[in-house]
Amino acid sequence: MAYYVNRNVKMTWWERSYIPAILTGMLITSRHFFKNMFGFVPFFLGKKKEREIFTVYYPEETVQFPIAYRGRPVLALNENNQPNCVACGLCEIACPAYCIDIVPGENSGKQNEMERYPIEFTIDYAVCIFCGFCEEACPEEAIYMSDQYDITMLDRKKMKYNMEQLLVPVSELKDRMEFCRNMYGKWNY
Amino acid sequence: MWIDLAITMVKIIFILAITVGFFAPVLTWVERKQSALMQDRVGANRADILGFTALGLFHIISDAVKMFTKEDFIPQGANRALHTLAPIIALVPALLTFAVIPFGGQYTLWGQEVNLVISDLDVGLLFVFAIASLATYGYVVAGWSSNNNWSLLGSMRTASQMISYEVTMGLTIIGVLMVYGSMQLTQIGAAQESFFRWGIFLQPLGFIMFFASAIAENKRVPFDAPEAESELVAGYFTEYSGIKFGMFFMAEFIEMVTIGAIITILFFGAWHIPFLSTATLLSMFDFLGDSFANLAVMLIHVGVFFGKVTFLIFMQMVVRWTLPRFRYDQIMKLGWKILLPLSLANVLITGIVILALN
Repeated sequence: MAYYVNRNVKMTWWERSYIPAILTGMLITSRHFFKNMFGFVPFFLGKKKEREIFTVYYPEETVQFPIAYRGRPVLALNENNQPNCVACGLCEIACPAYCIDIVPGENSGKQNEMERYPIEFTIDYAVCIFCGFCEEACPEEAIYMSDQYDITMLDRKKMKYNMEQLLVPVSELKDRMEFCRNMYGKWNY
Repeated sequence: MWIDLAITMVKIIFILAITVGFFAPVLTWVERKQSALMQDRVGANRADILGFTALGLFHIISDAVKMFTKEDFIPQGANRALHTLAPIIALVPALLTFAVIPFGGQYTLWGQEVNLVISDLDVGLLFVFAIASLATYGYVVAGWSSNNNWSLLGSMRTASQMISYEVTMGLTIIGVLMVYGSMQLTQIGAAQESFFRWGIFLQPLGFIMFFASAIAENKRVPFDAPEAESELVAGYFTEYSGIKFGMFFMAEFIEMVTIGAIITILFFGAWHIPFLSTATLLSMFDFLGDSFANLAVMLIHVGVFFGKVTFLIFMQMVVRWTLPRFRYDQIMKLGWKILLPLSLANVLITGIVILALN
């Protein structure tokens, strides 16, 4: 439904002088000023909640993201200190930006051992578009989107992360793992 | 004679130190920080020395370094001499007006009469307006000599706006002159010793109109059509860079202090504390001896005066960050059709009341 603005408002001469409107406006800005100013001093003493300011001092303060946030993809390192990845290459295929590069290796096939494992696993964050398709494609719960987004380098070659840089202990990824199981478990493939 | 010269030199150095050395640089920081707090932001806080930011106060130093080291650019086809002269013409009047502004009363220190004003002119108020209007030439010349259409438009707007609001300002002052019967700023200040003799009670309408037209004279929001950044890039100083741009900026901030000082003297009881006359204050410091008591009262009065100036600067900042810009025709309409008749009526009513009381 369209909203109609009534432009024929009858104002008294006092309202038409705009003095009350100006004073109200100045009162509002002053209120914000004083609230924030007295919220600022305790801020440096450690009390942060008393200010109305929503902006954060970025490098020193960071925002806690919701669990659904897609940051940089990382590899899960399981309890046996080995990557969950079996080098199947599904994420490599799913990746629309072609930023994942896997060199697979095969084990001898003994008991309690992965048949395949990645010798090299490279993600080029300069190319990655943070879409999360790799996470969705992974059948082994091996690749997850973390909440880190600030990957900045002076050299483009350093944006290529190898396996040592990508591996994150699975204990740190518990919440995201749970979230993915719930979310992708509902979908009918 | 030498002692008089020395006292005058001290007063000049004090005034320069407090305007150029303190108010102008600190106000650049205040403007950023206050606007940030009003809009629920954090404000400037990145410049640091050894990881210590001091609430962003070091931005003043980095600003100064930036302005002094930037290229001083003069555009092709510009009038080089006038282009260089314009910021000086704009800055000097802002500093000169402080010559007649009293920042305290008269005190006797060790047998020496000290009058806290650099030059106690009989026509002090007239001098202020004569000098302040000279700054218009700086802005007009700046726009004309830049060889840039934005600048020219900005300076044209400046000229018309300054002329329009100078009239209201002058007529508002007449009301104050009629009430206090003097043009000498020290006498106007001294006449406001009792609280209910302050100009704001005797001339409330005059205060509002003077405040509005003073902000218009200083070309700050809501009257910033001459430098409207969304319409005219930066108005008359579009083609300025480096320290010349800094001089325009400094002129604006020093003019804010001037406006604060003049309003304090005319409407806010100058250096007087409400309900506390100078004699009472002197008797409170009687135990210090005559000269030291005078010195203490002098320091208190100077502090009170600059406290009031700071409050008025705060008010100007609040107005600047609250109200949106007027359209050009609205500025002219407000100046000529509303403020001018109101100021004339103010003069008339003041005259009638004075006549009736006598």
